[in-house]
Amino acid sequence: MSVKVEVIEGGVPHNTILIAGVVSTLVCIYLTYLNVVTQTEMFSFFGGLAVVAALVWGSHTIKVLCSYGIGTGVPSAGMIAFGSGVIAMLYATRFGMLAPVVALILAAIIGLVLGWVSNNILNMKIPAMVQALTEMAVVGALTLMGFAALITGTFGFEGLTTGTVTMFGMTLLTHQNSFIGGCLIAVAFLLGAIAIQHPFNACLGPGWTQDRMLMLTAECAFLSMIVAAIMSFALISAGSAIISLVIAIIGWVYTYKEYMALSKRDAHSWLDSKPIPDVEGQ
Amino acid sequence: MSAVAAKPAAGSAMNPGAMAVGIILTLILVGICYVMSPGVGLMALIGVIIGGILIGFGTHFVPVGGAPAAMGQAPGIATGVAMLATGAGVAGLFGGAWAAETLPATMDPMMQLIIVVCAGAVGGGLMMAITCMMVNFLYVFGMGIPPASGKVANDPITGDSQAEYKSQGTEGHGLPFVSFVGGVIGGTLGGAGGTLIYFELLVLYENALPGLMNVTAAQVMPIAVSAAGMFAVGLFLVNAVLTAYNITGTIEGPHDPKFKRWPRSIVASAVASALCGLVAVLIVMPLPI
Amino acid sequence: MEHIVFGIGITALAGALATVAGSAEDTESNIGSQGDPNSQVQLAPQMGFLHRIFNKAVAGEPPAYGLWCCLGAGLAWAFMAMQINPVLAIVLGAVLATFVQGVYATTAYVGRTASLAKFGQPVFVDILKSMTTVTMAHAFIAIFCTVTLCHLINTALGHPFPLPLLGLIWGIALGAAGSATGNPYYGKERQYQNQKFGAGVPISASGNIVRYAEAGERNSIDNGWFTAKIGGSASGICFGMIVFLELWRTVVFEAINPWYAIIVGVLMILIFTVIDRYIEVWGRKTYGPYTAPKEAEA
Repeated sequence: MSVKVEVIEGGVPHNTILIAGVVSTLVCIYLTYLNVVTQTEMFSFFGGLAVVAALVWGSHTIKVLCSYGIGTGVPSAGMIAFGSGVIAMLYATRFGMLAPVVALILAAIIGLVLGWVSNNILNMKIPAMVQALTEMAVVGALTLMGFAALITGTFGFEGLTTGTVTMFGMTLLTHQNSFIGGCLIAVAFLLGAIAIQHPFNACLGPGWTQDRMLMLTAECAFLSMIVAAIMSFALISAGSAIISLVIAIIGWVYTYKEYMALSKRDAHSWLDSKPIPDVEGQ
Repeated sequence: MSAVAAKPAAGSAMNPGAMAVGIILTLILVGICYVMSPGVGLMALIGVIIGGILIGFGTHFVPVGGAPAAMGQAPGIATGVAMLATGAGVAGLFGGAWAAETLPATMDPMMQLIIVVCAGAVGGGLMMAITCMMVNFLYVFGMGIPPASGKVANDPITGDSQAEYKSQGTEGHGLPFVSFVGGVIGGTLGGAGGTLIYFELLVLYENALPGLMNVTAAQVMPIAVSAAGMFAVGLFLVNAVLTAYNITGTIEGPHDPKFKRWPRSIVASAVASALCGLVAVLIVMPLPI
Repeated sequence: MEHIVFGIGITALAGALATVAGSAEDTESNIGSQGDPNSQVQLAPQMGFLHRIFNKAVAGEPPAYGLWCCLGAGLAWAFMAMQINPVLAIVLGAVLATFVQGVYATTAYVGRTASLAKFGQPVFVDILKSMTTVTMAHAFIAIFCTVTLCHLINTALGHPFPLPLLGLIWGIALGAAGSATGNPYYGKERQYQNQKFGAGVPISASGNIVRYAEAGERNSIDNGWFTAKIGGSASGICFGMIVFLELWRTVVFEAINPWYAIIVGVLMILIFTVIDRYIEVWGRKTYGPYTAPKEAEA
């Protein structure tokens, strides 16, 4: 028996967010391919923008799923999204130019099977489960690919497994200093997994509003982009990393201010150094 | 953990049709692996599936009470089941990966596998033993509450009666001995499963990646270790969360009626691990296009 | 032999760092009401009990600490890859991870509280300013200690995992140990100080958390002050023991024979089982059964 705890009132419908999310994420990831075309690393920041788009879509999916009581916490939904997404993403990187599309299809297959397993074998019988887990696996895979593109400037297997190290003025090729070899993918994994579940976890309650939650998602995504951009200094040229960092900081400051303004709008009152207000009947 | 997540959704009924489809799906995935990569690839996939099943089954043993446990309203450990199992499992993975590193390369591969998996199992079990012991320590010496189960009248292992040690208005509190043993078993199975996945994939990547990337075996080590480790963590989370869905977030241990749902979880873990494992194996295979 | 002695020294240092990390982690999460006791802080306004308790529900402690420690380790790894000295790299990594933690904490408090507008719970800006900084200070200690111990395990003891993956592993384990041990002490003992000692909180009392202090209104720093004494130290000992014993059995026995390390691990599990049983029997004997039914007071 599953009871829908709260329905989505008003706001942008989920399917619109879904379509906008898929399209803008794929476009942003493909824009990082300009790096290869122009032989620079300047366009890596598009990877970060792909992360923002994918997470905004993903956090709304989590809201749809977790509106049903799934019996366990909201964070676990983010974990299963990225646990299945990381596997699809790493395999997809082998396909070069086609990688983002392959990641999308493969993650959708994995998510579909996981959703079917939860609903039928585990008997959860939640109507939104199959679609939500499918979407979340795709979000997980594409977010990781976005982070990979942001940090290394590429989404190909070759680029993610090789790096360079400068020693005594000589530049050597190494596998230790790379996105996968140094396991920066673990950082990307958790940055995404927390950022995708935090907005709904933080905004749940009777006063939930869609614009506030999605603004928070954008804020979390830009915050993750800031730290990812700092990590990218190790793997791409300083100039390109600074471009990513500046864009991330501007986006973060804007979304953080907007989120605080929206919270001030939704909050009962905004008090500074005041005692607990009296409630009638106490 | 969160205010929304209190509604148990999954019933306890089995769905034999879906389970049969699940088993067939698993066999098909194994078959695909056999066609694409007989030998090392198939071995790795079977190891991943067994590891996933161990994780799924082991998570059922971990006594987790969720939010009510933090108020002494329900027995078990006061945190989320998926993440506690993962904590124990990755602690085991840490030990197993270390053992894999220090073993001499000349050793028989089967012997290596046994030692590594045992090391991982003990690591996970030790983590849970210490954690469960400290939970009871805090309940008894910090808060003056004796452990009591709410689901059974007598502890199945020690035979201690439980009902009169349950304080008024609660479902029990702390970790009775059977829950402690369950926690240790859960950590052991989880640690073994996670380490098995890691080790099988590590051996596969160590053998296949040098040819694929045209580099030496020594150069490829960081990639093999990181990729195998990341996949082990990813698969662990998938299996642990699926099990958490199966038991709707809380369980007291092996004596809990919810424990009887384990066959569902084993099939679910097998399907999920087979699919994810197949993809993880295919990474090192030449592309079909 | 020197190798083993060196290893034991590193093990002891790692164990000490883990103890500090566990203690700081639990105090941080209790000040922020993170983890399961958070459900009561969330519930209280719905029952009509408005409060001035900080409520930063970023996620459960294990995933949240998984992120902070993994992020600190990843940034430290990146700085070291840029040829920065490891000590400076770890400090910088921990500082940036703490910044992320602080931002998440503010958005979580503001978001949760704004969603409770229907029940009249206000957002207290002074809480936001004073509590966030205190949790950040504790988080910095926890992250710095964990990343340092991961670095020691990686470079001095030769564990094959790269630093960020170790950060993920020990971050999740830190959160799991800290929340398992520390949560009941905050949730039962501190939030429900008005309930009877030596008994679980009756379900009917849920939401009626203590909101007033000795003088004035209780805030979350009072909670950290209270739980640091037992809950925090117990969490520290728990995580310290996990790290120390896990490293110790491997460092000392693995080189002699891998089976010895496994046998020693099994023996330690048996010892902890005996201790646990002793604690349980002691508790049952000393406190006795709850014979007279207690009144559930709401």
